[in-house]
Amino acid sequence: MDKFKVIEIKESVFEDNERQANLLREKLEKENVFLLNLMSSPGSGKTTTVLRTIEALKDEMRIGVLEADIDSDVDAHAVVQTGVEVIQLHTGGMCHLDADMTKQGLLELGTKEIDFAILENVGNLVCPAEFDTGASKNAMILSVPEGDDKPLKYPLMFSMVNVLLINKIDTIDYFDFDLDAVKKRAKKLNPNIKIIPISAKTGEGINEWVDWIRTQVKK
Amino acid sequence: MHELGVIIEVVKKVESFAKKNRIVEIDTLVLQIGELSSMVPKYVEACYPAAVDGTLLQDTKLKIEILPCNAICKNCNKVFNLIEAQKKCPDCESEEWDLLGGNEFLIKEIIAC
Repeated sequence: MDKFKVIEIKESVFEDNERQANLLREKLEKENVFLLNLMSSPGSGKTTTVLRTIEALKDEMRIGVLEADIDSDVDAHAVVQTGVEVIQLHTGGMCHLDADMTKQGLLELGTKEIDFAILENVGNLVCPAEFDTGASKNAMILSVPEGDDKPLKYPLMFSMVNVLLINKIDTIDYFDFDLDAVKKRAKKLNPNIKIIPISAKTGEGINEWVDWIRTQVKK
Repeated sequence: MHELGVIIEVVKKVESFAKKNRIVEIDTLVLQIGELSSMVPKYVEACYPAAVDGTLLQDTKLKIEILPCNAICKNCNKVFNLIEAQKKCPDCESEEWDLLGGNEFLIKEIIAC
């Protein structure tokens, strides 16, 4: 045993990813690409929201979509119908995307060919919040049926996003969902958070959402 | 359960560190995990054998040190454990505090030759 010695490493495991994420953000800034990291639980209406967003904006800017999934390409198929460029990223069992995977996907999309890239992250409110993807801004969707207690249960996610979309707002009468309570809980964690109630199905609130995107995209 | 993917990353980091420093055998790997980290020590231990399989760390023992999640009260400067005190200062009951630590996930050291 005496031939062994203690060698100090003291390295944060997530440091590498943070460094790569910062590099990617700088590169995107220089190339005038706005990358939006969109996160939510499974079934909150991410893909429907993406489709709505594309529909509203595709005539005024060049859009690309990165679809991250553990497996399958159902979402990519749906998005491909809109005519925008889609890259399917398989995380192969990983529950989140990191900056390197995001960068590979963006290179495939071609950063010169797009103004606005949407990264549809893996459906999960926990892990994606911990891994900086290098996105310019982060947004999340909470849908009404999921319940108004989610900011209490997943505080990290709510504290790191720029925008919170509250989806399926057209169903609010059928659920015990206290919109004011969610707003208060989210603002307590994140005073600068922008909250937009929407319905990806009926189109309610989509204008305010795409207006926010317009302010972020440089053409 | 995202421990496996992250532990595979840890193993890669340690392997490349070992290569750079000409280390041929690693007896123990010491990780530090904060109480508030999303990495659950129990699951880290459970998936560790799978992550090291076929690597330089195949026979390396894993040791985990837990780092406390301490906070300092903004009102009375009392330092307290956030989880034990249920996010409230045990002295003055203020809910305004600054986190001092507990989110860490670090590769602390290796015992190697």
